[in-house]
Amino acid sequence: MARTPSATDPSRPSEPTRPDGTDQLLLGRRGFLRAAGGLAALAAFPSALSACSSSSGGGGGTPTLRLIGVADEQKPVDLLTKAYKKAKFTTSYAPTDQVTTSLRVQLGAGNAPDIHVVYPGNGNAMAMVQVAEAGLLADLSDQEWTSRIPDGFKPAFQLKGKTYIYSAGSSVIGAIYNKKVFADAGVQQPPATWSELLDVCEKIKKAGKVPIALGAQTPWVTQLITYALVPSTVYAKDPTFDDQLAAGKTSFAKSGWRDAFTMYLELQKRGYFNDNPNGTTYEQQTSMVATGQAGMAIQVSAVLPAFRDAATNAADLSMFVFPGSDTAADVWIPAGIVVGLGVSAHSKNLDAAKEFIAYLGQQENINAWAKAVAAVPLKQDANSVIDPALDPFLPLMKANKAVPFMDQRWPNAEVQPTHFAVVQELLGGKTTVDQALAKLDEVYRKKS
Amino acid sequence: MTLIEDEPITLATPAPVAAGGRRRRLRSRMPPWWFVAPALVVYGLVVLYPSISGMVYAFTDWSGLGGKSFNGLANFRQLAHDDAARGSVRNTVLLTVTILFVQNGVGLLLALGVHALIKSRALLRVIFFAPAVVSPVMVAFLWKYIYDPAPDAGLNGILGAVGLGSWRQDWLGDPSIALWSVAFMVIWQYAGYSMVIFLAGLEGVPPELQEAAKIDGAGTFRRFRYVTWPLLAPALTVNLMLSTIGGLKIFDQVYAATNGGPGYATETLSTIIFKQAFVYGKLGYSTAIALVLALFVAAVSLVQLYYLRRREVTA
Repeated sequence: MARTPSATDPSRPSEPTRPDGTDQLLLGRRGFLRAAGGLAALAAFPSALSACSSSSGGGGGTPTLRLIGVADEQKPVDLLTKAYKKAKFTTSYAPTDQVTTSLRVQLGAGNAPDIHVVYPGNGNAMAMVQVAEAGLLADLSDQEWTSRIPDGFKPAFQLKGKTYIYSAGSSVIGAIYNKKVFADAGVQQPPATWSELLDVCEKIKKAGKVPIALGAQTPWVTQLITYALVPSTVYAKDPTFDDQLAAGKTSFAKSGWRDAFTMYLELQKRGYFNDNPNGTTYEQQTSMVATGQAGMAIQVSAVLPAFRDAATNAADLSMFVFPGSDTAADVWIPAGIVVGLGVSAHSKNLDAAKEFIAYLGQQENINAWAKAVAAVPLKQDANSVIDPALDPFLPLMKANKAVPFMDQRWPNAEVQPTHFAVVQELLGGKTTVDQALAKLDEVYRKKS
Repeated sequence: MTLIEDEPITLATPAPVAAGGRRRRLRSRMPPWWFVAPALVVYGLVVLYPSISGMVYAFTDWSGLGGKSFNGLANFRQLAHDDAARGSVRNTVLLTVTILFVQNGVGLLLALGVHALIKSRALLRVIFFAPAVVSPVMVAFLWKYIYDPAPDAGLNGILGAVGLGSWRQDWLGDPSIALWSVAFMVIWQYAGYSMVIFLAGLEGVPPELQEAAKIDGAGTFRRFRYVTWPLLAPALTVNLMLSTIGGLKIFDQVYAATNGGPGYATETLSTIIFKQAFVYGKLGYSTAIALVLALFVAAVSLVQLYYLRRREVTA
């Protein structure tokens, strides 16, 4: 029997074979170089992926600060980091839930960015109290701007008398409405009481439009109607409600929270929401109001710029106080400190990072940040510009009829998501007001 | 060309060799054990070390930030009384059982279909398998558009166009049907995956056995029942194991499509684990749930493997 040494193309060197005749994969010099090239390309891949982050800032020799924020902060942070020349910046932004996940992992692992998003007060996993109690936020108390924090806002900024978060001001929750839809439905002016609100909704509904757009599939949107109502149903009657609740002297079930949930459901029963709110997202809600398919949406003023961006005609959009009482004088509003920034206590560039925060605390930069997110500046001067859409809210703020967003004083990070869930269940008919309130009380009592 | 004469083969009776000698020869033919060392080191660092160190957190009150202290079995006691966790167990089991039966049933039918001698079978195999290679998160986002509750959008739009307007639903927003909408989405994605595994099993069924059964007068169903089905047992074992483990661990699609909502309607064990760790800031408790889930998955898989292996036969 005879056999040829190779049945393949004779012009090519034969591949080495194993004793059993199968091909053997040996790495020759050329193969090694190819593999090395491939590995180099793979190593370069993460830097290509970093396109979602960006660098900005001054010249060489300056420190580079890593900053992670939420999407809502991108506009003011980009603006102010570009103007700041004492440091370079590597910035990245993402939606709240993604940032919370990645930041908590980085904080826990000890490789947190120099500057990162922090939510005021307590009540969520990236809130000031939660992070500061773990000793992971630098004390900013010695900065000049902290002396201008109004007393009413101090719980949002401070823990045990020390300031751990920078924020440029406050935003309000109210109704972002489409003036053209209102006018087409024959509504002359925004409602000032609950009954007037129901009348306005009825007129808009009869005009063939959705009175209130609700994107309850996006969890944080679910809370806004309750938040808009409870200042009138709870805090107007007892401004010390948070203290009473913390002391165990009252509960969600025994308070005006019951009225707020009942009013929320009344809007649904009367057909004033879009169909299937639990299947509708924040983006769809925005589009409905911006394009005139709906009359209004109950939202935080910080998203007003986003509504304007989506609008056919931005001038059609404005805001009014969402009335939670039948007596105009008893209508209170929620006004909370906007999401801010903190400095990692273990930052290798601690001084540079704190210096940047001090820069943000200068009045002109507070003004710039507040303007970018349609907020009311922490302190105002002659150059402060407040969005005209917020004008109806300012008298109530001056009259101390504004209360911080409710979650900012809740004792643990579980109450707020529970609120999201019970509202979705109420809208879906899967729970009752009693059960929803009992659930909130149960979770609130977990304390931490 | 070089011609090589074959050497005459001599069949010699092998001399009796001691068992120890055979073992030594066998051992000398095996690659040295330290060849696996690099893989073991990587596996140890990337899988074993984090897993074992993670177990320790299950017995602490760690929030994920700052210090921690051991709290014994407190996390496990809390788990026993946690309504949300119990609800998520129910949802996880319902999803797993649905996926287990429907995905594999559809996968088997698809496999039988594309195994037949039809012209377009190669194209159909690619089409049915294609969703399995797409990221689960992308599939969830795609289906969010399909499940748009607006009457003229996505699935509702199609139902309206074919005269089934009364079947329109708020697919992901109605707590009564959201879980089944998620299940359908998962089955759509992975039925093709099950099909490929069944197809591999079908390719291994010897045609002469089919022919013999046919000659003996067996019809299509009896040939499937008594020839094909027993020989598909290894493929069935793999498919049932994979879909059980995948169902019990399901996270991506649920998180991206519904975030566990509306309310708690689609919350699964994995979404609860994630939320406890990163939303509620209770990493110790989250790890305790994860540990229970891991032990549960291991137990179910081992029992399943034991019984499925017993019914496997070879051609």
